[in-house]
Amino acid sequence: MAARRVGVERIFSWSALDEKTRVGLLVCIFLMVAVAPAIGQSIESGWEFRESGTEQNLNTAVIVEHDNTKTIWVFGNQGTMLSSNDLGNNWQLHEKITDSNIIASDSYAENVVILSSDGGVFVISENGSWTYLGKIDSTNELTDITIISEGKSGIIVIGDNGNIWKSSSSSTDDDVLEWYQASNPLDSKLLDIAFLDNEKGIIVGEEGTILYTEDGGQSWDFRESPEETRNSDLVSVGFYNPFRMFAVSSEGQILSSTTEGAINWNLVEIESHGYDTSLGRSINSIEVVSASIILFAGSNNYLSVSLDGGNIVETNLIPQDVFSSFNDHAMIDYQKGIVVGDNGVILWTDTSGKNNLVGFEIPDYNNFGDFVEYSDDMLLDGFKATVKIVGFGILFGFIIGVLLAMLKTAPATLKSLIEGKPSIIVRLVGGGLSITGIYLFWNGFRGFSELQLNGIEYIFTPVGDPHGFALFGIGITITFLGILFISSDGKFSKIKLGPLTFDPWKIRPLNSIATVYTDFFRNTPLIVQFMFIHFGLSLGMEAQAVYENIIGPIGNDGVDYFLLGESAFISAIFTLGLNSGAYQCETIRGAISAIPSGQMEAGRSIGLTYLGTMKLVIMPQAIRICIPPIGNEMVNLVLNSSLAMVIGYAELSRQGRLIIAVTFQVFWAWGMVMISYFVVTWTLALLLRRLEEKTRIPGLGISGGS
Amino acid sequence: MADVVLSILDLEKIYPGGVHAVRGISFDVHEGESVAIIGSSGSGKSTVLRCINRLIEPTKGVIELRGKQINTPNADVNNVRSRIGMVFQSFELFAHLKVLDNVTLGLRHVRGMSKSDAEKVAIEVLERVDMLERINAYPGNLSGGQKQRVAIARALAMKPEVILFDEPTSALDPELIGSVLQTIRGLADEGMTMVIVTHEISFARDVADRIVYLDNGKVAEEGPSSIINEPKTDRLKKFLSSMHEDKIIENVKKES
Repeated sequence: MAARRVGVERIFSWSALDEKTRVGLLVCIFLMVAVAPAIGQSIESGWEFRESGTEQNLNTAVIVEHDNTKTIWVFGNQGTMLSSNDLGNNWQLHEKITDSNIIASDSYAENVVILSSDGGVFVISENGSWTYLGKIDSTNELTDITIISEGKSGIIVIGDNGNIWKSSSSSTDDDVLEWYQASNPLDSKLLDIAFLDNEKGIIVGEEGTILYTEDGGQSWDFRESPEETRNSDLVSVGFYNPFRMFAVSSEGQILSSTTEGAINWNLVEIESHGYDTSLGRSINSIEVVSASIILFAGSNNYLSVSLDGGNIVETNLIPQDVFSSFNDHAMIDYQKGIVVGDNGVILWTDTSGKNNLVGFEIPDYNNFGDFVEYSDDMLLDGFKATVKIVGFGILFGFIIGVLLAMLKTAPATLKSLIEGKPSIIVRLVGGGLSITGIYLFWNGFRGFSELQLNGIEYIFTPVGDPHGFALFGIGITITFLGILFISSDGKFSKIKLGPLTFDPWKIRPLNSIATVYTDFFRNTPLIVQFMFIHFGLSLGMEAQAVYENIIGPIGNDGVDYFLLGESAFISAIFTLGLNSGAYQCETIRGAISAIPSGQMEAGRSIGLTYLGTMKLVIMPQAIRICIPPIGNEMVNLVLNSSLAMVIGYAELSRQGRLIIAVTFQVFWAWGMVMISYFVVTWTLALLLRRLEEKTRIPGLGISGGS
Repeated sequence: MADVVLSILDLEKIYPGGVHAVRGISFDVHEGESVAIIGSSGSGKSTVLRCINRLIEPTKGVIELRGKQINTPNADVNNVRSRIGMVFQSFELFAHLKVLDNVTLGLRHVRGMSKSDAEKVAIEVLERVDMLERINAYPGNLSGGQKQRVAIARALAMKPEVILFDEPTSALDPELIGSVLQTIRGLADEGMTMVIVTHEISFARDVADRIVYLDNGKVAEEGPSSIINEPKTDRLKKFLSSMHEDKIIENVKKES
C-alpha cells in the first residue's frame, strides 16, 4: 500500500516552501536576531571607596547645608569626627570633643546634633565650633538623637526601657539644656527615630515597637506592627512623606505604611527573594530617598537598594578589598551620597548604589543604534510576553469557541428533553422546579430590595448584588421551566398572547446559555473586560491563591511560575480567550452549518451518537472549512492583546511606552513595536496558510486561496 | 416461511407544518427477502425508510426489528441504527476520511474493534463491492458509482440485519448506474435482507422478491415482483406506464 499519511506529514519543510515564503521567513529570522539581546555585558559596584584617614568604626553620618555648600559629617567611635566639603572626595579629621563613641547624629537646617554613648549631647554652632549641651542623666542606654527645629530646643533622644528625652523648650540658658522625659506607653528598647517635619515623627524599637507622634514628640501613640514582626527588633525607620514610611528589622524584614498617620503597617513580600518576607541579612539601617527608592545597609558587607518600595531588592556589589559592617547613609539626593561603616570605611555613590553596567558607552538616544541597543532587550521581553499570552489565548479561545459552537448547534429542545417520559414524573419534577425556583427568586429579590435603587438604577443589580442577581435569574428560569413542565399534557402547544405566538417547547436550553455568553462578550468593549476581570474580579490573584492553597507556593522559576507567576498574565489569557471564544464560536457555528445535514444522518445511521458524529464527522470537516476565518480571529486576538497593557502586563505595547518614558523617541519606539506586531501576526498567518494547505482534502469545501 | 426481520404496522407521519406524508402503512420484511418500495415523488417512500432507522420519528405506528418495538423512547436508538444499514441517495461519505477509514469508522467507534481488525473487515467488504484498489482515495476523488459502492460497503461492514437503500441510483449518471445495481443484485443473491426505495422499475422487478407500491402515503398495491408485469390496480398501471415512457425516451437517448 502506497499510503501517504497526511496526519504525520510535517507541517513545515524548507524545500516545500515557495520562494516568496522562504524570503519571508528569512526576513522574520533576521528581524528576530536584530532585536535579540546583546550579550557580554558585565557589572561593577556602584559604590566607590573613599579614603577616610581613620580606622575607627564609623557609626553615623549627616549632611548639612551652609552658604550653598553641602558638608557631610561622619562620626565614629572614640569621638572620631570627619567632614567633607567636596562631596566626599577629601575628608578632614577634626579635633575630638569627647572620648566616648559618637553613636548618633542628626541635622536641621544648619544645625548638627550628636549623641555620645555616655549621654553627652553636642551641637555645632554657626561659626563651626561645637557646643556642649549637657548630658542626659540616664541609667539606660541611649540609642538615637534627632533635631526637629531651629535652635536647641527641638532635640529628642531615645533609649532603652522606653526612654524618650526632650530638650526643654522653656529653657533660656543657651549652653546647658534641661531634659525631661516624654510620655511613652511602652518600656521596650527604642532604636531609631525619624521626623518628617517638626510635628510628625516615628520611633521604632525592639519587639516590633512602633510609636507615632503628631505634636512634635510631646505625646506618642502606639502603632500595631504586623504579626510576623512582633518579636523582631526594628532597627531603622524612614519617613519620606505622609504616605510613605518604611522600617526594617535586624533580620531584614521590610515594613511599609502608606496610610496617613502610619495607622497600618504591612510586611513587604520581597518578590526578588521568592516572595519571602525577609532579606535574610542582618540590617543596620535604611535610607528612604524617594517615595519608592530605599537603600539598605547591614553587617557583613551588605548593601542593597530597592527601586520599588521593597518588592525587588538588588544586592549591591562592594568594591574590592573593602570589608565592613555598614551603619548609616547620608544622601545628598536620591542618587548621590555616602555610606559609612566599621573600620573607617566610607563609600560614595552617584547611582543610588545600583550596580553599574560596564562595557557600554553612555547611550545617546538620538542615535538610532544606541536607541535600539537600549530598547531591544525590553522589546524582546515584550515580544516574548505577547507571544506567550497570544499562544495561550488562542488555545483557550479556540477551545471555548468549539464548545460554544457545539452548544449553539445542539438540537436538544425542551420538548425532546421530556418527550416520552411518563407525564406524572414530568409534572412532579415540574412541581419541584417551581418551588425551588420561587424560593431562589424570592431570596434574590429580597437581596435587591435592600440595595434601595430607583427605577432604571436596577440595571446595575448584577454588580450591586451579584449573588442576589444570580438567584433571581436562575429562580425565574427554573420557575418558568417548572410551570411549563406542570402544564405539559403531551401536546406541546404554543403560548398565544394576543397576536403573538410563542412556542416554549422549541427553546434550546444549551443554545440559550451559549447565546447569553456570546451576546455578553460581544457587546462589551475588550478593554473594559480586561479591567473588570483583572481589577474587578482579581481573577489572576484568585487563581494564584487557589493554586497556592491546593498545591503549594508558586516557585521562582519552573512551569508553575511560567504559568501562574504573574497575575496579570492569568487575567490576560482568560480575558483574551473568553472574548475571542465568543467571536470564534460564530465562525465555527457557520462552518458546522455548512456541512450537509446528510453527514449527520450518515453518522447517526451507522450507530454513532450525536456527540460521536460531531466529534468524528462534523467537527473535522467544519474545522477545515473554518481555518481561514478562524485565522482572522486569531490575528485579531494578537492585535487585541495590546490592550493587556492596561492591566500592567508587560507585553509589546507596554514595553513601547516604557521605552519612550526613558528615551523620548516616540517615532522609533512605536515604529519598532509595530514591526514586532507585524512579525507575530504575519508568522501566524503564514502558519495558518500552511496548515490550511496541509489539511486540505479533495472535494471538501471551496479552497481557492494559497 | 422465514422469520420476520422487520415489521411495520400502521405507520403514520405528519411533518411539522401539516404535511401528511405517510397515512398508515403496514408491511413485513422476511429474512433474506428484498423488498422494493416504488411510487411517484411525494408518495412517502423515503419517509417510511427514514422512520425505520429513526432518522425521522413517526407520528403513529409500530416498527419492530426482530419482534422488538424500536420506536419507543426507551429503545437504544444507536444500537438499533447499528443493526440497520442505510445507503443514501447522495452517498454521504465522510469527505475528510479516506475510503478505508469511511468503512472502519463505525466498526471502531460503534463496535469498538481495534484498528487492524476493523481494517480486515473493511477490506473484505470493499472487495465485495469491487473497490479494493481505491481504499486510500478520498471520496472527493471518486466517481458517483464508486462513491455509492463505498457507501454500500460502509453499511455492509456493520453486518446489519437489514439494509435500507434510499434511491441508491437517482444521483448517478446513467452509465454509472449499472455497477451499483450489479452490487445490490449481488447482495440479494447472497441472501441479504434489504428494503430498496427505487425508481428503477426493471431493477426492482429483477432483484426484489416483493414490490410495495405506495401512492399518496398508502400502500396501493403489494405483491411479488410479477405485479410489475401484471398490475392489478389502475394506479399502478398508470404509474408504470409513465415510468415506461421515461424508459423509452432513455433508451432512445442511449441508442442515438
